[in-house]
Amino acid sequence: MTLSGYEALFFWIFALAAIFAGLLTVMARNAVHSALFLISSLVSVAALFVLARAEFIAGVQILVYVGGVMVLFLFVIMLVNVGAEERGHEEIFNNQRQVAASLIFCLLLVGGVLYAVNKGYAGLQRLHPTTADTAAQQQSARESSYATSATAASKITKDAEGVGNSLYRYASLPFEIASVLLLVAIIGSVMLARTLRQEASADDLGPEVLKVEIVNDPELANLEPQSE
Amino acid sequence: MLNFFTPALVLLLQEGGRIAQMKQSALNPDLSKFLVIGALLFIIGVAGVLTRRNIIVIFMSIELILNAANLNFIAFSRYLQETGSANALAGQIFTVFVIVVAAAEAAIGLGIVIALYRNKETIWVDEIDLLKW
Repeated sequence: MTLSGYEALFFWIFALAAIFAGLLTVMARNAVHSALFLISSLVSVAALFVLARAEFIAGVQILVYVGGVMVLFLFVIMLVNVGAEERGHEEIFNNQRQVAASLIFCLLLVGGVLYAVNKGYAGLQRLHPTTADTAAQQQSARESSYATSATAASKITKDAEGVGNSLYRYASLPFEIASVLLLVAIIGSVMLARTLRQEASADDLGPEVLKVEIVNDPELANLEPQSE
Repeated sequence: MLNFFTPALVLLLQEGGRIAQMKQSALNPDLSKFLVIGALLFIIGVAGVLTRRNIIVIFMSIELILNAANLNFIAFSRYLQETGSANALAGQIFTVFVIVVAAAEAAIGLGIVIALYRNKETIWVDEIDLLKW
């Protein structure tokens, strides 16, 4: 696979944007800023997905990550107190020795991974040698096979259809398991995030815990449902 | 004298060829460029997990790591589409599942963060040391 022309230009723009925004995610002092930088990093990666001809996954990425997960993050940031961080008298990183050790580890990891990518990619190229003009040929052959849209203004790819087909052909059991996983996650997070009063009114509080907590909040006893 | 410098000249010319090659490969980004971007995003995420004190930012760094893995899957999926493989879209299928698991992980993790904040009144990971003896 080789990108060329405008695709190459956009590849570099979005790649640099993704990495820059990722760095700022880690380094921003305010957690809300971190979340916003992470959103821009995710959108840039979605653009890279489009360049790699995964339009459906790019859409899923924007809908699920940016529309769902990141909104969840922003709500949780709103619920917990981050004021001290924002005013700037709390250290946002761990102590210096820990940071130095992890940065050294990350640098070693960068070296190792880049070496492995170079080495492995050289082997792949020996296995499947592709040149720029054969790639361009494949690209034009592919584009001529696209269907024309109803207004005849653009061409339509069938990649989303292919993804759906192979999702149900090769991965229908994992797909069902994923739905169970999501259900468990929903129920689990609802159970985890209950307050003491909500737990008491559902009769989920142990008697010892109730005895301790009733000192702070006498109303807990009234919330307990009466067993008849 | 000229004989003495010839190897150096050859080396210099080779170096020039290498620069031209690098320019060519930058103009035509291929699979390895996607993999390098994925690796850099992954390592930024690892650095975030290791260095930050805010548990919410640590979760965001984990999302960054998962996203780097997705980028690799997608890049290899496209590579296999062109080299002709039996099931070239497997990478995209896997990415869907990674996104599902990431969403589940974020929901559970943030539920834990809220419960933790109710009980300990802190989001700094070095102050959450109940299990540390």
